[in-house]
Amino acid sequence: MKFTQCELSEGVRLHLCETDKFTSLTCKIFIQQDLKEKEATGTALLPLLLRRGSRTFPSTLHIARESEELYAAEFGSDILKVGERQILELYFQMVDPKLLPQGEKLLERGLRSFWQIFTEPFGPGDRFHEPYFSQEKRTLEQDLKGLVNDKRSYALARFTALMCEDEPFGIYKYGDLESLEHLDNRFVYEHYQNLLQRHPLDVFIVGSNLDQAADLFASLIPSSGRSVTLQKPMRVQVEGERVFEESLDVNQTVLVMGYRTNCTYLDDDYYALLVGNGVLGGFPHSKLFMNVRERASLAYSVGSSIEGSKGLLTIVAGISDDSREQAVEIINEQVNAIKGGRISPEELEQTKRGLISAMTGINDNPAGIIDRNVIGMVEGELRSVDQVVEAISRVEYDDCVRAMQGIELDTTYLLRPGQKEGANYGED
Amino acid sequence: MEKIKTPTGDTVYSKRLPNGLSCFVFPRKQFLRTYGMLSTNYGSIDLRFGVSGGDCVDVPAGIAHFLEHKLFEEEGGSVFSRYAEWGASVNAFTSYTQTSYLFSTTENWEDCLRLLIEFVNSPHLTDENVEKEKGIIIQELQMYADYPSHRIHSLLLENLYSEHPVRLDIGGTAESVQRTTVADLMRCYNTFYQPGNMALAVVGDVDPAQTLQMIEDNYPVWEQSTGPIERFDPPEPRQVKAARVEEELPVSRPRYLLGFKHEPVWQGEDLLRQQIVMSLGMRLIAGRSSASYERLYAEDLITDSFSAYFSADPRFAYSAMGSETRDPDALHHALSGIINELKTARVSSGDVERLKRQFYGAHLASYDSFEYTANRLISNYFRGIPSDSFLEVLQSVTADEVQAALAEHLDWERSTTVVIRPVNDHEQE
Repeated sequence: MKFTQCELSEGVRLHLCETDKFTSLTCKIFIQQDLKEKEATGTALLPLLLRRGSRTFPSTLHIARESEELYAAEFGSDILKVGERQILELYFQMVDPKLLPQGEKLLERGLRSFWQIFTEPFGPGDRFHEPYFSQEKRTLEQDLKGLVNDKRSYALARFTALMCEDEPFGIYKYGDLESLEHLDNRFVYEHYQNLLQRHPLDVFIVGSNLDQAADLFASLIPSSGRSVTLQKPMRVQVEGERVFEESLDVNQTVLVMGYRTNCTYLDDDYYALLVGNGVLGGFPHSKLFMNVRERASLAYSVGSSIEGSKGLLTIVAGISDDSREQAVEIINEQVNAIKGGRISPEELEQTKRGLISAMTGINDNPAGIIDRNVIGMVEGELRSVDQVVEAISRVEYDDCVRAMQGIELDTTYLLRPGQKEGANYGED
Repeated sequence: MEKIKTPTGDTVYSKRLPNGLSCFVFPRKQFLRTYGMLSTNYGSIDLRFGVSGGDCVDVPAGIAHFLEHKLFEEEGGSVFSRYAEWGASVNAFTSYTQTSYLFSTTENWEDCLRLLIEFVNSPHLTDENVEKEKGIIIQELQMYADYPSHRIHSLLLENLYSEHPVRLDIGGTAESVQRTTVADLMRCYNTFYQPGNMALAVVGDVDPAQTLQMIEDNYPVWEQSTGPIERFDPPEPRQVKAARVEEELPVSRPRYLLGFKHEPVWQGEDLLRQQIVMSLGMRLIAGRSSASYERLYAEDLITDSFSAYFSADPRFAYSAMGSETRDPDALHHALSGIINELKTARVSSGDVERLKRQFYGAHLASYDSFEYTANRLISNYFRGIPSDSFLEVLQSVTADEVQAALAEHLDWERSTTVVIRPVNDHEQE
């Protein structure tokens, strides 16, 4: 499952993966920008606005009916955050036309509708249709306030905002309530035009007979000189551990521990770090699962993950409040065990195999085949599945211990049962 | 070996082994992962049962899920680590009617399959390890209790039903988990994990004949197979338990869910047909292409979360629809109007034909998901639904049929409304 790349014009890249393996054709477009407080909330509003209507399909109903006419074609959009970039994702999926009655014409129609829906929003031409704009501001406001409904996501968002308060990474990918209140229709519209015309844009397509799709995109995407250059994530030195506690009327305590890894995607030890994280908390055989859950019965869910562009390792556990000190203690023991080199050959081997299997298995999932490239796109170095598998298999015990010795605990965050205290959700 | 053609042009091979196990193999060329799922026709609602004329027993709620947790335990270790040796992943889930164990791997799939058969067939339960699991399960229940979408669904079923065990949480309660014993667990295991009550599906780039042979060679014959299982559901009154309930939770906005209890009268192809007909009806009520969606959205009576679904099994059936909302009462009023109009006015055949296209495409696309495909093969089998008839049945459904089904089944006399309101509502504004 390899992509062939071509540059359609400055800053516009087309990545094609030709295969007849799937029943669907999948296409994703990514438009990148730096995470900035001034723009983040406006960008976050775009997926909500764009689904409301376009010149040809002026309402949600028209878009939904087009999707149904095209046999469940999906037109979607979302916001991603990778490192200190905010990325607008546009998404299209449709059943391979050769499986559909009278399918030949449907693919071109689907792709044209996709591009049309997302680039020609309904409105007077210099702003979004005003009722849509105000309704979607309300929707985003509800979404930001509604973060509290999912305690784990809420805890992670609060943790990130606190740990990275003075860094762009601390900005939530869907923005904040205060900026939202002051958001202006024309400003967001101009911001979107600027994104479409000046920012780096990558199109990924997975499916069969892609020539037609490639030609179509080449003719549709404006070659407007995308001169915007983007920033690299801010590097931060850990200056002592910080602990934050907040309360909410919840049944379970969510414990989050954040480490700076001092090692990112372009570093030599990056795959050693991924293996180290896997030994710690990436799998059911990992130390955290075996010790916090299986031995001590403190949690149902416990694990760790890596943010490879910014350089963070984050541990999350859902525990009963009275066992929080014990949980922190056991987690510290596991991290120190790895730093002290206590990794068995089985743990190392199982983890490498697990990572390789997950990486290889991505090739069976069209959206996954595309998504795994996002970090490479942000970091300016795309790597194939084979390259990654090779890099993981080369990781040795020493590399893994060295990479994990580089991680430093920065912030511990606890969301505990009780009356609501601490900062408000979605704010600051 | 029987063959079932799929609409994607592939073939599913099936066979019932002499020990009673039903097997499905779905070869998919070029795919790197192999996926295996072993399921028992046994879920959270099987709380009272007997075996071929023997005594009828009652067991604590949540026991199917408890058993699912415990089968991963082996003498001196956990199944997770053995799968990890092959870089494979293994998981399980319990529903109202089914418990499934599954693996996914890119290497050593034969080993993974043998281990799946082995660990599900060798329970290792002790007083000590059963006691220890209780803490983990109670944390899992606590986690779900903090999800408002889970809570509102539980409240709906608790109040639609007075007696039927579908009203209880799949995981049970802290109390029922606490009083579960090794003897209870083993009784359920010995009854429901006999091969005749189970099915196994393998999806991947595998040879069907060899795979079926391998299953047959490795699957144990149960010496003490107990014969037919009798399941007893308590008589469920026609009326709902409560027509309206409200609860406060720490959420940002109110939530509303409306449910209708149906008589579970469908089996086999009738059940499939009813699922298609009612799901089309649910789309007419709550789909984005429905006439009222845009208006309700503009009035802030619904959000993206607005959805409606029909859930049916030979032993229970209900419909549910709802959303986060500014005003639950106003949404109830609006939704009642929409439903009553659909029940009495003529449903447009253009709308139904367009939705049928949507279902057609979604059905084809679903074949790329191994987990979904394997689960559909098995759950259709358990419910007696033929695997190859979806598109045929879909094509034959008419607008009049959809309208008649909505008119018959959305009976306000058998409905429950659940509202969740934010704690200290005034502080949120």
